[in-house]
Amino acid sequence: MNLAVDIIKRKGDRQSERFRREKLHASIMAACLSVRAPEGQAEPIADAVCESVIAWLQQHPEVTSHDIRIVATKHLRIYHPEAAYLYEQHRITI
Amino acid sequence: MAKKYKFDYDLIVIGSGAGGSAAATIAAREGQRVAIIESSSFGGESPNWSDVPTTALLHAANLYDKARHGAKFGLRSSTLGYNYPSIRAWKELAVKRTGAGGNRKYYEKQSIDTFIGLAHFLSPNEISVNRRHLSASNFLVATGAQWIIPEIPGLNKMNYLTPRTILEAIKPPKSLLIIGGGDTGVEIAQLMAIFGTKVYIVEQASRLLPHHDSEIGELLERILFEQKGVTSLTHSRIVSVEKDGLSKRVIVSRAGTEKSVKVDEILIAAGRAPSVDLGLENAGVKYTAKGISVNDYLQTNVKWIFAAGEVLGRNSYTHTALMESQIVANNIFEKTKVEPDYSAITEIIFTNPAIATVGLSEDDCLKRDLSVNKAIAPLSIIARSNTSDFRDGFVKIVTDKKGVILGASVVAPHAAEIIHELALAVKQGLTAYQVAETPHAFLSWSEAVRVAATKLA
Repeated sequence: MNLAVDIIKRKGDRQSERFRREKLHASIMAACLSVRAPEGQAEPIADAVCESVIAWLQQHPEVTSHDIRIVATKHLRIYHPEAAYLYEQHRITI
Repeated sequence: MAKKYKFDYDLIVIGSGAGGSAAATIAAREGQRVAIIESSSFGGESPNWSDVPTTALLHAANLYDKARHGAKFGLRSSTLGYNYPSIRAWKELAVKRTGAGGNRKYYEKQSIDTFIGLAHFLSPNEISVNRRHLSASNFLVATGAQWIIPEIPGLNKMNYLTPRTILEAIKPPKSLLIIGGGDTGVEIAQLMAIFGTKVYIVEQASRLLPHHDSEIGELLERILFEQKGVTSLTHSRIVSVEKDGLSKRVIVSRAGTEKSVKVDEILIAAGRAPSVDLGLENAGVKYTAKGISVNDYLQTNVKWIFAAGEVLGRNSYTHTALMESQIVANNIFEKTKVEPDYSAITEIIFTNPAIATVGLSEDDCLKRDLSVNKAIAPLSIIARSNTSDFRDGFVKIVTDKKGVILGASVVAPHAAEIIHELALAVKQGLTAYQVAETPHAFLSWSEAVRVAATKLA
């Protein structure tokens, strides 16, 4: 399900894009798999985090990619703190 | 040539409640370009969902209650009744008469641009409201707070009331369990009990109103029980809630034993959390779950973004938020900055008897290790208690060793009016002697103030 939510990219120097669930799902999956979470665990975690983010987006028609990262991290921390840390920090660490 | 502006507005106010509206009005009056953004009803919490409607309902309830108990004064009240839809209509009228309640035009008439929607910071000078981007050279965040829904097993599977939604109830429930024995919890407990609801209050602390001195909470608990049949379950914790037919069953843990209470409705009044979900990270504003951090001038770490009211996470009342909002308007547009003075802020609970406090309580002084004197004048010793046949209440004054009044508590009819004499004393550093030597009219409730002050003079 793709919501009618516009994501303003970092620093506003790239064009806004529509929120895509699969993109968020893939990024959460990647964070989980990077900390060696089994795929069977990563999949439901990514589903749950996506649901929480989508619930939050229902009231926010326009947010920044930074907002998505913060909200996703907050929910990911509940299920997998190590993956959440990586997800939060990966732009700095890479 | 027309002036070219760098930003859309000089000031964008997020939240049209007491914390926002005063600053917006002052700035607009000064000729600044102002926008105000509201996510719900214009006017915010106080006129729409809390102070005004609750106090209007309490006024009707207290009239009904006094008339019902008028037989001892020779009044015939056996056929007295009430019509709740009419009482609700009275509440709506009171809200409408505030002018600000739910009234967008109130702001537009003052040349303030209004927007409905959730504001979300995109950058330190830009917000988005319904995909519309607005920029400003200054911002005031006055988004208020919302009721905290505690994590209680089973609660998410059923309907529950909050102090906001109970005001819209079609009729008072037959029975009600209130989670939280603070200011709002006891006001609603008394309101519903007067209309015949069996009320239970569950409070984790050892007494109702735990943020006030013990005499206040203990007296109110006794009055609520003896006069209104309210059961206070202090030192108690909710274990779980579950559906039981059309009712709700609440499991309460008290002193190691579990008790089951079956009620029609549950009301959550267990504290409020500041509304900080507005993209503050994108603006670089520092905040925690407890509120936005500000300096003495109500300025956040981003110097053109200010905050006022409940979003600061402090004990905030409508009059405190108004004061802060006025100060923010000054600090944005004037060269001389001012700081809010919280020393004489009054706290009022509109129960019967009403409760009003100002300055430091005795507990506050003990926590600060201050050496103080205190005196209590019970209402029963003044003449008015005889003519009104009302004896439950007192005036308590706390002074330092030199007799300067540091704080006071009043539990009495019209306490909200009586307290301002003592607020003036706290603000101006008056002594108990100065208050005691001021003539107080015979047969006024304020005579109790003189009696308490005389004990300390």
